[in-house]
Amino acid sequence: MELRVLEKTDTELRIEVADEDHTFMNVLKGELLQTEGVAAATYDMNPEQSGGQTEPILSITTETGFDPLDALEEASNGVSDRMTTLYDELDAGFAGAA
Amino acid sequence: MSYKCSRCKRDVELDEYGGVRCPYCGHRVLLKERAPVVKEVDVR
Amino acid sequence: MADDFDVEVISRDEDGRSARFLVRGLTPAMANGIRRAVVADVPTLSIDTVRFVENSSVMFDEMVALRLGLVPLTTPLDDFELGDTVTLALDVEGPATAYSGDLETSDSLVRPADENIPIIELKQGQRLEFEADAVLDTGKDHAKHQGGVAVGYRHLQRVEVLGDRDGFDEEEPHILRGVIETDEGELVHTEEFGADLTNRYPGKELAVTDVPDAFVFHVETDGSMDVDELVLRAVDSLRDRADELATKVAV
Repeated sequence: MELRVLEKTDTELRIEVADEDHTFMNVLKGELLQTEGVAAATYDMNPEQSGGQTEPILSITTETGFDPLDALEEASNGVSDRMTTLYDELDAGFAGAA
Repeated sequence: MSYKCSRCKRDVELDEYGGVRCPYCGHRVLLKERAPVVKEVDVR
Repeated sequence: MADDFDVEVISRDEDGRSARFLVRGLTPAMANGIRRAVVADVPTLSIDTVRFVENSSVMFDEMVALRLGLVPLTTPLDDFELGDTVTLALDVEGPATAYSGDLETSDSLVRPADENIPIIELKQGQRLEFEADAVLDTGKDHAKHQGGVAVGYRHLQRVEVLGDRDGFDEEEPHILRGVIETDEGELVHTEEFGADLTNRYPGKELAVTDVPDAFVFHVETDGSMDVDELVLRAVDSLRDRADELATKVAV
């Protein structure tokens, strides 16, 4: 996962997340939309059918007073936490069924 | 090049001048033998 | 949306090759993320290079190699990293059929998940001998590395009995697929009553609704690993990526 910031202002961020696809980007986008201070979040897998650009580009807009990079960090931690709880729940569920 | 005669089943070595013909029985149908080397294939 | 997930295993094959389970508290994005990760991101071992010593069978080396690539191999993921290889070999002389079970392995933990997959039928005088390298890679790279073969999910559906059906209405079949939640909170797969609600609730007026955030997964593996492990590894891969992103953003 290589990151490349394409555009960054106080409330806006456009960042390329290399080597990822819908699997992770959609989960991340979903989490971002539930993160405090995020006004808009989306990602584009093939912006403008631009020649050769196939890495997803994540765009975040935040409300004033919130840094989009902080929001991104918070969202990633959120996904991580959720997956940890889900992992434990699934593990327990399967152990009970086996 | 090593071939095998399809009639008498003998191994045949072809050279430039002899034409396509079995030197033992004169048969004109020769089968090419698989080269005895290990062939590596990529599974794609 | 809170972090409270709830997992209930509805059915699970004894050999651990397939399972149906309900997860509550998922967003559609997470459900799809898990499904995609099961299919494309959990790596399995699969034959990737074949060195043919002899192949006098009726098939080309490439065709035999392709068939070999599709043979599922048991994959102990704790002992392997992406790109690691295991060597396998086979030597069968006709008249006989070369089966996946004839593959000799250099690592006893890695063997064909099924022993009865025919590779090729050999006639008198034909022989197949080769050495092959299996490599650990993901389904994203090649479909032969997919651990999950039939992976999908459906919404859990709640069936409520509203009352008795009007006696003069003609009874029509009410076909429904998937798992339903009854008034008593019981989880029943519709296959159990012929996928027709009128079999289970004759003469009743029903209301069927999707239960929000509740997904019934059906996962079937190719035998590389148990369903449990496959699903857990998929969730783990999503978590790893989130962790990686968090650390990279924090810097």
